[in-house]
Amino acid sequence: MTIEVEKGEFAFLIGPSGSGKSTLLRLLLREEVPSKGDVYVADLNVSKLSQRRIPQLRQRVGCVFQDFRLLGNKTVSENVAFALEVIGKPRHTIRKVVPEVLDLVGLGGKADRLPHELSGGEQQRVAIARAFVNRPLVLLADEPTGNLDRDISHEIMLLLERINRTGTTVLMATHDHAIVDSMRRRVVELHLGQVVRDESRGVYGVGR
Amino acid sequence: MRASFVFSEVATGLRRNVTMTVAMILTTAISLGLLGGGLLVVRTIDRMQLEYYQRVETVVYLSADLSANDPGCTSSTCSALRGQLESSPGVQSVIFESRQAAFARFQRIFQGQPELLQLARPEALPASLRVQLSDPSRFPDIAKAFSGRPGVDRVTDQGEYLRQLFRALDGLRNATFVIALIQALAALLLISNTVQLSAFTRRTEVGIMRLTGASRWYTQLPFLLEALFAGAAGGLLAIVGLVVGKVAFVDRVLAGVFEAAIVPRLGYDDIFSVAPILLLVGAVVAALTGYLTLRLYVRT
Repeated sequence: MTIEVEKGEFAFLIGPSGSGKSTLLRLLLREEVPSKGDVYVADLNVSKLSQRRIPQLRQRVGCVFQDFRLLGNKTVSENVAFALEVIGKPRHTIRKVVPEVLDLVGLGGKADRLPHELSGGEQQRVAIARAFVNRPLVLLADEPTGNLDRDISHEIMLLLERINRTGTTVLMATHDHAIVDSMRRRVVELHLGQVVRDESRGVYGVGR
Repeated sequence: MRASFVFSEVATGLRRNVTMTVAMILTTAISLGLLGGGLLVVRTIDRMQLEYYQRVETVVYLSADLSANDPGCTSSTCSALRGQLESSPGVQSVIFESRQAAFARFQRIFQGQPELLQLARPEALPASLRVQLSDPSRFPDIAKAFSGRPGVDRVTDQGEYLRQLFRALDGLRNATFVIALIQALAALLLISNTVQLSAFTRRTEVGIMRLTGASRWYTQLPFLLEALFAGAAGGLLAIVGLVVGKVAFVDRVLAGVFEAAIVPRLGYDDIFSVAPILLLVGAVVAALTGYLTLRLYVRT
């Protein structure tokens, strides 16, 4: 199968469980290596990347998950700063950039809270802030609204849309009909590892 | 890469597994302490050997006939023996000791025991040629060449007793090293285990770090530094242990032996010349163990 997502595009990956959505995202992050074929992110051939150069890829690709994956013993701003610390950004840059991003995701007043003091939606905002803080080319989201109720999901989608408007490509795997239907964006449907549908302004599916 | 960040990670890791950290440091310390002890024994033995072998003599005892009739080593038999000894390889000097001189020395040695002196007669003591060897290992050649020659009673080597003594000391040293080695094995396994445990308890964090683009080196450096810290701490503790051992045990128990200069005194300079070796071995071996553990067992 071949899928191409243009720079700056917003695309949904849909399909039943086991259809390969998460695997595709994991391939893009080089968490898995394809048995055959090639995966490109920008000009990087991900499937042929050496171990040593994986960090270069991941510094250009942000990712968000259903279970947030925040560090429980660090505050909101520390969680976001973490992503910059590990890639060795200087302290003054971190001090400047982190509050900006927290404002962008609407958590400006909660910088010093711990993750467990936040609601699910707020935790996901922190995760998005962390994924976005070093301005990645691509944002990968694996069912980011899977643990959230409808209204909160909608807010998260608005946030992702805002990030998309800054020029970041967003690729989101989801099961959520309502969201896909309301956004009217490109939809790629997978089934058993094959692309069965690819529409530029699609809905989740007919007859569901 | 920011140092403060890495060090706070190291501190967290050590605190979180505090019991393992303590066990790791203690076993490392004991192992390194034994290694240090062994090295000190080696230094002492080397110094003793140097001093002792300089003092020992190979003695060629002359026959009763020569002892009685040739008080100045002027007979052809005696002077020939003396000449041949002097020209033998490895011989530094040859001194003739007459029966009278031997008796005088005997009296001097046993002046504290008059009843023994009363019993002794000069006739019981042989005259001898006392040979100082520049190379103590040449003794067997001398013994072979001069035993059974006319005028010679027997050839003895004081070095033989020394060799027995040093064999015993060598045994002591080897035993110390063997125990140190077994301890070292335990220390290595503990370090490896702690590094694995550390990596496991922080696998979520490491996973997130990896996803945000941290290099493998960056995520694993804290674990490596933990091992390095434990090794160095163990080394320091071992050095403290050696100093305490010297003050509390060696100096007290062996005071008489040191006084009599039988064993060269163990100084602080000895301990401090061994100290850097212990620190280095501790730190390098621990870091290497940590590195191999991460390579072999921790895949993130």
